Amino acid sequence: MIEIEREPWEKMVAHARATYPNECVGAMLGVVDGGRKVVREAMPLENSFAGEQSARYELRPEDLLSADREARRRSLDLVGIYHSHPDCGAYFSDTDLKNSCPWYSFVVLSIRKGDFDHANSWLPNAEQTAAEKEELIWPKS
Amino acid sequence: MAKILIPTPLRQYAEKQNSVEIPGATVGEVLERLAAQYHDLRRHLYSDEGKLRSFVNVYLNDEDIRYMSRESTPVKDDDTISIVPSIAGGAVVAPPEPATLSKEEILRYSRHLIMPEVGMEGQLKLKQARVLLVGTGGLGAPLGLYLAAAGVGRIGLVDFDVVDHSNLQRQVIHGTRDVGRKKLDSASDRMADINPHIAIDRHEVALSSENALDILRDYDLVVDGTDNFPTRYLVNDACVLLGKPNVYGSIFRFEGQATVFAYPGGPCYRCLYPEPPPPGLVPSCAEGGVLGILPGLIGVVQATETVKLILGAGELMVGRLLLYDALAMRFRELKLRRNPDCPACGDRPTITRLIDYHQFCGVPRQESAPPSGTTMDEITPAEVKARIDRRDPFVLIDVREPHEYQIARIPHARLIPLGELPKRVHELDSAGEIVAHCKSGMRSAKAVDFLKQAGFRKVKNMKGGILAWSDQVDPSVPKY
Repeated sequence: MIEIEREPWEKMVAHARATYPNECVGAMLGVVDGGRKVVREAMPLENSFAGEQSARYELRPEDLLSADREARRRSLDLVGIYHSHPDCGAYFSDTDLKNSCPWYSFVVLSIRKGDFDHANSWLPNAEQTAAEKEELIWPKS
Repeated sequence: MAKILIPTPLRQYAEKQNSVEIPGATVGEVLERLAAQYHDLRRHLYSDEGKLRSFVNVYLNDEDIRYMSRESTPVKDDDTISIVPSIAGGAVVAPPEPATLSKEEILRYSRHLIMPEVGMEGQLKLKQARVLLVGTGGLGAPLGLYLAAAGVGRIGLVDFDVVDHSNLQRQVIHGTRDVGRKKLDSASDRMADINPHIAIDRHEVALSSENALDILRDYDLVVDGTDNFPTRYLVNDACVLLGKPNVYGSIFRFEGQATVFAYPGGPCYRCLYPEPPPPGLVPSCAEGGVLGILPGLIGVVQATETVKLILGAGELMVGRLLLYDALAMRFRELKLRRNPDCPACGDRPTITRLIDYHQFCGVPRQESAPPSGTTMDEITPAEVKARIDRRDPFVLIDVREPHEYQIARIPHARLIPLGELPKRVHELDSAGEIVAHCKSGMRSAKAVDFLKQAGFRKVKNMKGGILAWSDQVDPSVPKY
C-alpha cells in the first residue's frame, strides 16, 4: 500500500497538468514501514525523452541519483516514481513495463483534457513481464 | 574500502543498512563481494545468467561506469558506488481492444486465413493496423485498392486535389464519372465499396511542416505516393522524427523505384539523396509523362511491403532500392546503407524539427497562383490571336517536341524544339518580331532568354502556352 500526503499529491497533479499534453516524471520521497509507504515529498524531474513527449518519458539516471541523495539528506527514502498519461488511462503500458525496475512503486496519473482524472500505483516484477496493482491512497478533494 | 549506497527497497536484504563498505580493486569485484556477502541481494542485481540486470546502472561517484571501463573500472578507497535503475516509459498507445473477425470477414479473408504465414493472427494484425497514404494519385490508386481489399483496418488518405481527365490513364481508383469530384471522395467511395469492414480517414489538406506530425502520429506506418520533392523530404523527415517506417515509391516515364525508408537501423531518403536536385532539372510526370501501367506495378510493390511490415513476415526491402525499367522489363537492386552523418537519421542529427521544404527544394509553393498580368517579355494568347488576325509581321515559334506538335498545334506556328534552337537560330531574323510558345510557358521562357542573349531584341513569350491558348482562344485545340 502507498499513501500520498496532501502536499506532495497536489505538487504531482500540478506538475502533470503543467506538462500536459506531454508526459511528466518525478520522484516520490517518503518513509517505508513494512509494506506501507507514505509519500512526504514529491520531486518533479525532467522528462529527457528526445522525441515526442506526449506519450513517452525518460528519466536520466543522474537525476534519479540526485533524487536519491536528496532523500538521504532529508532522512527520507526514495519510494517511487510518478509519471502522467495524457488523455489515456492510468494503466501500466508495455513501454512502462519494459523500462521499469522492481524496486519502486510506479504511480501513473491519468490527465484528461488537462485535468486530473484518476491514478494507479504499480509494482513491476524483476523480469519486466508483469506489474501488480498496488493499493493507492491519495487525499480526495 | 569503497562505500556502496544501497537503494531503499534493497536495504531489507542488506541488514537494513543504507550503505556498506566493501574492499575491492574494481567495481565488478566490489559488487561481486557485495552479492556474496548479502545473498538475497544477488537476485535483485544479477540475472540468472549472472549478468547485471538490464535496468541496473552503476555509478562511481558521479560517473556512469559504462562511460569508464565498465565493471573493470578501478576503485579507490574513498570512492562511492551508487546503484541507480534506468527508468522510462509512456502511454504510447492505449491497449488495443482484442480484435476478432466476424463470420463475413472470415469468409472474405479466407484465402489469407488458410496460409499459415498470414492466418488468423496475421489477419487480426492487418485489421488493427493503421496506415497513412500520402496522395491518392498514380501510386495511391493501387495502394488504396489493395490495402482496402487486404483488410488494413484503418487507412488514412491525404489529398486535396480534384479528379481530372488526364488522371484516368493511370489513377485507376477514380473513374470517368468522378471527374470534377474530390479525389478523397472518389477514392474513399471505391475503397468502401471494395471493403466495408475498414475505416477510412480523410485528410483534405496539403501535407505541410505545420500539420505533418499531427497527421502522421496516429498511424503505424506511412506510404509515400507523392510526386514532388518538397513533400517527399517532408514525409521522410516526419517519419524519421516519429520513428515510423516510410514505404517509398517513385515513378518517371518508364522507370520506377521502391524501398522502405526510416525503418530502425535502415537508411532514410536523405541517406540516398542528401540534397534535392536543382529546381527544374528533374521533370515531374506532368512535364515528362509516365506510362500509365507503371504506377500500378510500383504501387503494388509498396502495398506488398506495407502488408509485410504489418505481418512481420518475409524479407523487408530495407537497405535495398528496387529499380524497375518497364521498357527493358528488368528489375535491378541497389544496396543502401544508413549514413551515420545523415542530417536526419544519422548519429548526430541536425534536423530535429520540420523545416520549410519548398525553400529547401528551391520551388514555389503549389498553392501560390502564378503572378497575374504580363511582364515586358510576355504576351497573352488573345494578343497573339489578334496579331495573327491583323496579319502583323511576326514569327510564332513552337519550341515543343515533334511528338507534342502531333497532339496539338497552333496554326502558322513554326516548330523549332528548344534543344535545336542554338543550331537553328540562323533561320530567324534577329531584327524581326518573334513570339515563342510551348505547352505551358516554361520552355518558351528559356527560349526567349536564349534568343535575347543571342542578340534578338523583339522576342516575347506567349504566357501559359498552348494550354492557355485552348482556354482563351480556341477550345478545339486539345489539352494534354
